[in-house]
Amino acid sequence: MSWNEPGGDKKDPWSGRGDQKGPPDLDEAIRSLQEKLGKIFSGGNGGGGNGLPGGSAKSLGFIIGGALVLWGLSGFYIVDEGNHGVETRFGKYTTTTQSGLSWHLPAPIEHVDIVNVKQQRFIEVGYRTGSGEQSLGSVPKEALMLTKDENYVDVRLAVQYQVKDARDFIFNIVNPAATLKQVTESAQRGVVGSSNMDFVLTEGRSEIVTMIKKEIQDVMDNYKSGIQITSVNLQDAQPPEQVQNAFEDAIKAREDEQRLINEAEAYSNDVVPRARGAAARKLQEAEGYKEQVIAQAEGETTRFSKLFTEYSKAPDVTRKRLYIESMESVMAGTNTLMVDVKAGNNLLYLPLDKMIKPQQAAATVQSASVPQSTVDPLPQPSVVDEQPALRASTRGRDARGR
Amino acid sequence: MTQNKILVGLGALLLIGMMCVFTVGQTEKAIKFNLGQIVKDNYEPGLHFKWPFINNVKKFDARIQTMDSKPERFLTLEKKNVIVDSFVKWRIGNVTTFYTVVAGDIDQANLRLDQIIKDAFRGEFGKRNIKQLVSTDRRAIRDILIKNAQPLAANLGMEIIDVQVMRIDLPPEVSSSVFRRMEAERERVAREFRSEGAEAAEKIRADADRQRIVTLANAFRDAEKLKGEGDATSAEIYAKAYGADIEFFTFYRSLSAYKKTFSNSGMMVVDPESDFFQYFKKQTK
Repeated sequence: MSWNEPGGDKKDPWSGRGDQKGPPDLDEAIRSLQEKLGKIFSGGNGGGGNGLPGGSAKSLGFIIGGALVLWGLSGFYIVDEGNHGVETRFGKYTTTTQSGLSWHLPAPIEHVDIVNVKQQRFIEVGYRTGSGEQSLGSVPKEALMLTKDENYVDVRLAVQYQVKDARDFIFNIVNPAATLKQVTESAQRGVVGSSNMDFVLTEGRSEIVTMIKKEIQDVMDNYKSGIQITSVNLQDAQPPEQVQNAFEDAIKAREDEQRLINEAEAYSNDVVPRARGAAARKLQEAEGYKEQVIAQAEGETTRFSKLFTEYSKAPDVTRKRLYIESMESVMAGTNTLMVDVKAGNNLLYLPLDKMIKPQQAAATVQSASVPQSTVDPLPQPSVVDEQPALRASTRGRDARGR
Repeated sequence: MTQNKILVGLGALLLIGMMCVFTVGQTEKAIKFNLGQIVKDNYEPGLHFKWPFINNVKKFDARIQTMDSKPERFLTLEKKNVIVDSFVKWRIGNVTTFYTVVAGDIDQANLRLDQIIKDAFRGEFGKRNIKQLVSTDRRAIRDILIKNAQPLAANLGMEIIDVQVMRIDLPPEVSSSVFRRMEAERERVAREFRSEGAEAAEKIRADADRQRIVTLANAFRDAEKLKGEGDATSAEIYAKAYGADIEFFTFYRSLSAYKKTFSNSGMMVVDPESDFFQYFKKQTK
């Protein structure tokens, strides 16, 4: 017997609210008691037989009457808000009572079962929320299921339901909650089995839930279970634990892809502006060079032109002055060796390297254009050639090169 | 005394009355026997009459029962094993048959029904491959099974309400290879992501390098052009100015070149016969 429905009130209906006493509106209750009694006894089987007006048995009458009244009062019961009472007479369904005070024929004749029809009951499929602070414990046997593309997914559902018809709920199925669970498992496997894994795991969640809900409701209605599915909640839809790492790695890979791209963009953002900067520098430098060269040219030519103006007024003297000044400044800055070779020697040997060394050692010694001092540290030049070979303007470098 | 007699009489009457009636609940079906013979089995719920001692009544649960079979292996069309977990919802159809064939015992009835259903499953699964079983043909299988099993169940006095396939699982050794395949698939995806990332990154870098090179080259070109312009302009300026007297320019420029050349103290060997020394040996020309 399944009157102890799960999650509902666990009270035994036989002794539950059936014998509530102390009715507030006794008159009405007694009236309905009389009516019902009348109906029963006029129908025929008056098993009790309460007549017997024996003058000697007045006290007996009282006893029997009192017993009858007590028995009658035991037929009162209260149905709480949100509950329905299902009355049966000799096992046959008669009526469903709403919340409030009601009366039925007492114990052997009528019986009432009280069912909570507002309570949200729920079942969990694929997981169990432990009674304490335990986290979601997966039940792989229920949670793992095949998809259309032959992958496994881990699905956890919670189904909430109400009793929509107390009569059907009580009379039609042996164990409505267990049945609902079986039907839920079957329905979700049917729906998931006809979907692809990606659909289940991502965009298809709400659609799948709707389909499962409809499927469960259809089957439960087919059983006339009196159950109304109020909601189906997809707690979780994941790839199974065994491949969780691979899935996470794939997600990481997606991130890696973005990371690589970002890094490259960072490089690009670093290199390109720098190149632009360098290019701008090059251009500016070129511009500078251009300006510089032109300015130089202008400067030099202006100077020349000025000088030339004066030169054309007195060319001879200017020319001589310029020459002498220039030579002076040249001679002043260099070691000068005057070689007077009129003897007509073919070759004049000058050990230039030896001459330069001491000069470098004592560079500050200014011998300038004084011939004696210049000649002094030198060895006697051996005159071989008789030709007037060396000219005054011959440069040291050229002499060395010979 | 009379009171006691009346009470005893009433009690006896009540007892006899009780023995003459029986109730059939809303969830029950009942059979009335007349000395072992079945006389009536189609009782409505409610109060009914029987003779005491002669009549005997047996009641059975008429609600929907569940036959929850153990997971069982079946071969599919492609000769693969699948483990199937199913349940059957049934209730008592013909209570007389139910009583006579399975003695009204629900466990025994489940046992018999299990054999029937397994047989039917085996037949249907052998005709289909896993894909059909898992996704497309669930409803069809259900309908066919109900249709085929119904007459057999009726022989047992049972009425089948529903046959549901709850789970179709692959055996552990196969499911582990499914997991491996899933892993491999994910790995493929992961690699694709990573290498696509590398591809995109390389493209971006290459593009950046190209931009740098092109920018620098363009800058070089423009810079050289500018320099050339500078050189040209200056050349023009020089030519215009110095063109006034080429001889003087040569003289002037040579002098400044001499100065520059000997500016860092070299060694000079001079001939006293040169112009510069014309007054070196003699005072007058």
